[in-house]
Amino acid sequence: MGETESASYLEDNNSEGALSVQNREIHIELEKKIKKLDRLKEKDPEFSNFLDSNKNRLKVSMDEENEISDEDESSDDGRELVNENGTATEMSMLLYTSAVDSLRHLVTEQQNVSAFTRLLNGYRAACHYGTESSNVLKDDLTFSKILMFVLHEADNIFRKLLGIQCSNERKDVILELKDTAKWKKLKPLIKSYLRSTLFFLNEVSDSEILAFTLTRLKASIIFFAAFPHLLQRLIKTSIHLWATGEGTLSLHSFLIIREVAAVFNSDCFDICLVKAYKAFISRCKFVEPVIFKRILFLKNSFVELCSLDVQKSSNKATVSIQQLAKILQLGLRTKKKEAVKKICSWQYANCIELWIAFISVNIHDYDLQPLLYMIIQIINGVAVLFPGPRYLPLRVKCVQWLNHLSSSSGVFIPVASLALDVLEYKIGKGGSKPGKDFNFSSAIKLPKHWLKSGNFQEECVFSAIELLAVHFAQWSYHISFPELATIPVICLRKFHEMTTTESSQRLVKRFIDQVEQNIEFVRKRRDEVAFSPRDQQSVESFLQLEKGSGNVPFTQYYRSVIEKSASRNLLTKKNTSYLELKKSKRKRQHSNNNVDVTVNGEVDYD
Amino acid sequence: MVKKKQKQKIVLPPALPPEISEDEIEVSDEDLQFVNENRDYAGFVSRLDTDTITRHVSRVADLEGDDLEAAYEKRLGRKSQQKQEEEVRLQVDPVDALPVKTLDGKLYYRTLSNTSEKSENGRDADDEKDDSGADKGIVRLTKAERRAKLKKSKKEAKKQGKELGKTEEVQETPQAAVLAKVKEDLTAEEVFENKKLKLAELGIALLADPESNIKTLKEMLQFCKDDHAIVKLALLSLLAVFKDIIPGYRIRLPTEKELEMKVSKDVKKLRYHESTLLSAYKVYLQKLMVLEKRSKYQHVAVRCICTLLEAAPHFNFCENLLGAVVENIGSSDDVIRKLCCATIKSLFTSEGKHGGQATVEAVRLIADHVKAHDCQLHPDSVEVLLSLSFDEDLGKAEEEDKENKFRNKKSKKRKNNEEPSQLQENDRKKSRKELLTKMREEVAADYKAAAFTTDVKEQKRMQSETLSAVFETYFRILKHTMLSTTDSPEANDNLVANATGAHPLLAPCLNGLGKFSHLIDLDYIGDLMNYLKKLAGGDTNSNSSSERSSKYLTVSERLQCCIVAFKVMKSNLDALNVDLQGFFVLLYNLILEYRPGRDQGEVLAEALKIMLCEDRQHDMQKAAAFVKRLATFSLCFGSAESMAALVTLKYLLQKNVKCRNLLENDAGGGSVSGFVAKYQPYASDPNLSGALASVLWELNLLCKHYHPAVSTMASSISSMSTSHNQVYLSSISPQQAFTDLSLERELLNPKYDIRKSNSKRKKGSSKMTGGIDSSLDTSSADEDELKKKLSDHFVLLRDFKENGRLRSELERTTLALQLYDEYKKQKKKMSKNDRK
Repeated sequence: MGETESASYLEDNNSEGALSVQNREIHIELEKKIKKLDRLKEKDPEFSNFLDSNKNRLKVSMDEENEISDEDESSDDGRELVNENGTATEMSMLLYTSAVDSLRHLVTEQQNVSAFTRLLNGYRAACHYGTESSNVLKDDLTFSKILMFVLHEADNIFRKLLGIQCSNERKDVILELKDTAKWKKLKPLIKSYLRSTLFFLNEVSDSEILAFTLTRLKASIIFFAAFPHLLQRLIKTSIHLWATGEGTLSLHSFLIIREVAAVFNSDCFDICLVKAYKAFISRCKFVEPVIFKRILFLKNSFVELCSLDVQKSSNKATVSIQQLAKILQLGLRTKKKEAVKKICSWQYANCIELWIAFISVNIHDYDLQPLLYMIIQIINGVAVLFPGPRYLPLRVKCVQWLNHLSSSSGVFIPVASLALDVLEYKIGKGGSKPGKDFNFSSAIKLPKHWLKSGNFQEECVFSAIELLAVHFAQWSYHISFPELATIPVICLRKFHEMTTTESSQRLVKRFIDQVEQNIEFVRKRRDEVAFSPRDQQSVESFLQLEKGSGNVPFTQYYRSVIEKSASRNLLTKKNTSYLELKKSKRKRQHSNNNVDVTVNGEVDYD
Repeated sequence: MVKKKQKQKIVLPPALPPEISEDEIEVSDEDLQFVNENRDYAGFVSRLDTDTITRHVSRVADLEGDDLEAAYEKRLGRKSQQKQEEEVRLQVDPVDALPVKTLDGKLYYRTLSNTSEKSENGRDADDEKDDSGADKGIVRLTKAERRAKLKKSKKEAKKQGKELGKTEEVQETPQAAVLAKVKEDLTAEEVFENKKLKLAELGIALLADPESNIKTLKEMLQFCKDDHAIVKLALLSLLAVFKDIIPGYRIRLPTEKELEMKVSKDVKKLRYHESTLLSAYKVYLQKLMVLEKRSKYQHVAVRCICTLLEAAPHFNFCENLLGAVVENIGSSDDVIRKLCCATIKSLFTSEGKHGGQATVEAVRLIADHVKAHDCQLHPDSVEVLLSLSFDEDLGKAEEEDKENKFRNKKSKKRKNNEEPSQLQENDRKKSRKELLTKMREEVAADYKAAAFTTDVKEQKRMQSETLSAVFETYFRILKHTMLSTTDSPEANDNLVANATGAHPLLAPCLNGLGKFSHLIDLDYIGDLMNYLKKLAGGDTNSNSSSERSSKYLTVSERLQCCIVAFKVMKSNLDALNVDLQGFFVLLYNLILEYRPGRDQGEVLAEALKIMLCEDRQHDMQKAAAFVKRLATFSLCFGSAESMAALVTLKYLLQKNVKCRNLLENDAGGGSVSGFVAKYQPYASDPNLSGALASVLWELNLLCKHYHPAVSTMASSISSMSTSHNQVYLSSISPQQAFTDLSLERELLNPKYDIRKSNSKRKKGSSKMTGGIDSSLDTSSADEDELKKKLSDHFVLLRDFKENGRLRSELERTTLALQLYDEYKKQKKKMSKNDRK
């Protein structure tokens, strides 16, 4: 019985954790009972004999249970290293701080392999601490020292021993080394290190430790080339952490994923992409202002991952978009409740948004026309499928997406009718009582009571004006602008006549005036030119100079409308922090010189 | 045991044995010997139910050809029936096994009657089976019903067997007390079953021999006055019977005079038969009409009425049936409405059955119905008119006939002129001849009347009658729609939401007008055009009230009005000269009000096709205005609409050479610009828009359209040459273009084959979207903190482990302490034992 030993432990350690308090209580009780038992034994030596015979039976059964469960847990990580190294005897030795220090010294100064092996054994034990019953480590200092040292230095030491430069990050190096004696000697050590580290990743929950471990793993990613099985585990773990982790942890995991995808492009890119996509899909079912930022991060990082190999990822994108199209088609054809519900969801919207981001980032450098075309059709389909006023947020989103795609790809996407629809939403004259505060940006479908509020009317007018402003801003210097604006202006005039609310009347009026100014501007300049519509090149160069300077009043007006809408959206997002607001403002200032870029920024923020 | 064996025999009827009577079968001595030797095995032979076997076998063998087939069809039902029959026998047996005490107090063992009863029973059931089979064959109802009927008949057979057994029993044993007892035992359900049975029996008898059993109709009618379930059954059975026995002609009851005349026995019988049938039919129909009003029986009654009308539209009282059907044609009950509509449609399509008389009647009734309900009916009720067909060649054929006759006469005259001498020669002969021909003509006329072929004149009369009723209905609807929109623009503010609901009949009415546009009487066309124009929304110029009123019609409906107007004009082109300018103005403005999700794009495309592509006028101003408007239109709407517009635009440009000037930036519009020197995009009249002075700059933006088809179309238009006339006209119609590019189809088979597309890097720029890794450099900064966290982690793990260890230790010790108690007990025992 090791009761004295455990007692000394408890006395040593005065930490205030709830567990240790409980431990102490249990210990006290245990001591009491043991004393009682001892007394009984002394009193009646026959009893101790009897006890021995019976207790053995009891103990055996209990131990057996424990052992079996132990074995189940430890799985393949368990004992391999012992066999590989043949240093089992050394391993069972206790490691103390001093020993670790000396070993560290040996390893760093002399590159002593055997010392390093011992350290790695200790490291393995540390990583498995808590799941295995080994008594190699006795105190927390040793534990942290070993972990820190190995995590810090292992990569460098391996590289030194193998003669690989630190900056070399090509997996071929490892594959070339595979047959050398050096490699054969070090292989078990590397494997042990990687495996233990991966195991450690699954054990620890603290985000900082995780992040640190991940950064170290990232440094030695090339070593995974020799262990494809471990690589799979690494991908799995890091994708899990990417999708579920917070802030920096998520970031670090993503860096690992990206590194893996970059280094092992041929083998692992698809796996990474598919797994990341799946993780994304399962994480984006709901959008609250709180997790909004996270989804944005996931989206951006996923797009970055895709950009590593656009060729491959566009294949995946095609498959995914076709799936979206299929769902939409089902919805359009059957109009069944479930199918429609599937489409009008954040998940669907986020998927579309994801691929929009991917397309708009890469369309300038790659030929992604088919994808662009497909996604535009899907967005149009979604907009048509949900015409009702309750789907205003979705409709607004659709038009924003189209505007975004149009500005990033330079193609013309007609959105005027979609935007004007918003103005024609007819609601019962519920009156202008101010509705309950409602977070417009985190909904995809409006609650019914909201439709009757005055806010809704206002929101409709605002949205229509903003959407049209973005659309017009893009083409305001195009030679066809007067025609482009003709029908919207006619509709807006009609609306202006009909509407009774003064504020929206004013808003619309101002918009019409500005657009007409724009029309007049373009028409005047157009009348001066001599070329015909056939002459595409001349048409392209039309008003390009003016567009560059961008100081015409209507341009400024469009810009102000867009900015206002952004701030309006931010205001409605009550839960978003002030900091974020500031950040976005800064961002806007950065890109103020070009309206189009601002538009991109805004769409991302919605 | 018996039952089981029999069942097997029936389940597997092998190749039918040859038709040999029992006497002819020769049993060889060897056979006999064999049987005698193996008595144990052959015992079953004696127990075989020869009755059933022979019945079964001979039954099938007797039949030939089609009958055989029918017999096989019946077999399935029979199998189960026989099974039930067996059950019946088993059920009857125990009753019979008991002795019956007669009134005199003697016990009466009915051993003898048993067998006879059995056989009788079997025969009866047999009959029943047969009949039920026939019943099944005749009443072709829905599957479910048939199945239900089958079930019912099975039950009937079973019950009948039982009942027959009992009645027979009663007959055989005159004891009244027993009878009363047995009768009491019959529950209400059994009564119902009995009624059902009786009904089936009667019906079958009627079907088997209508002449002699015609009286039973009345009996069957009695059932209709019963309670719920049996009434339904009675109605359906009667329906089946009537469907079968109604003759192919209309029955005319003999007049008094005729009744007085002496007639042969056969005629008398026939007369009796007819009059009975007719009166029963009348009663039946009356019953149906009454029941149709009651919701409980409505479905059954309507089904009966519809089926009867479909089966016998020529028969007496068909008008009553028609009336009932038309009454229900706009029913809110889907089933009833569908049924009635289908019936009316089949009336219209199969006019041969009733010579067209019913059609006229039906259309007239529908017209009245619409009138009575003030046009507030289900659209289906007017849509049935679409399945009318009018024979346009009817009049022509007659005219030809006339011509032929005329020619014949001429030739005859000529003949006469040629041979006057002959004529003079034998006057007497001639008169005889004339007599002969006269006779022949008379006979022919009689024959015609008998053969039920209406002459052309009659047909024509009926057709025109039908037409006038149809158009009366249509005009009524138009007028009503117009009145309701113009008269009370204020009143139905709340109707805005369901604009289509306000004029449910307008859509089918417009469709009908489109379809029958070539048949409209010229006198009406002027009015019709005015209506349509008003409905399409432009009776007064920019009057706000009219604008508001026209809002109650959707854009699609208004477009439809325009389309109908053009169709009417097209099919009556030679006859009139109505100014269609107004409709062009309407279309010019309607295009702007179109909204993709809300309105039907197909209608717009059709309007573009009919009004612009097929227009025969060559008005340059107008064409240019539409070219410009369509181009502008396609900048604002989805790809399908854009494509339809562009196709039309291209067509217009191809047809109007001068409009191609729009493609050139000709300073000042050149010589062609009309009296309006400057383009007015907001003008509402195409002729005042001055579109000829504009340039089609839209095409440049359309070239950048995301949809490849649209952008190629736009560039192909912009590269059209102005100078020479292109002969080639695009073959695709706007409608086709619209459906080709409609979203659903696009999603199904996208234009691009995406998989094949190459997404190679276009430029060499290797830009990375940074931003993510720039913001992190956290590795070394907080090493100490990390260390601390690691050691915390360690402590936590250790404590956890320690906790587990301590707990198990504690448990063990506690157990040991408990063991001490046990130990003490044992010790006591031992000491006790020791003491002993």
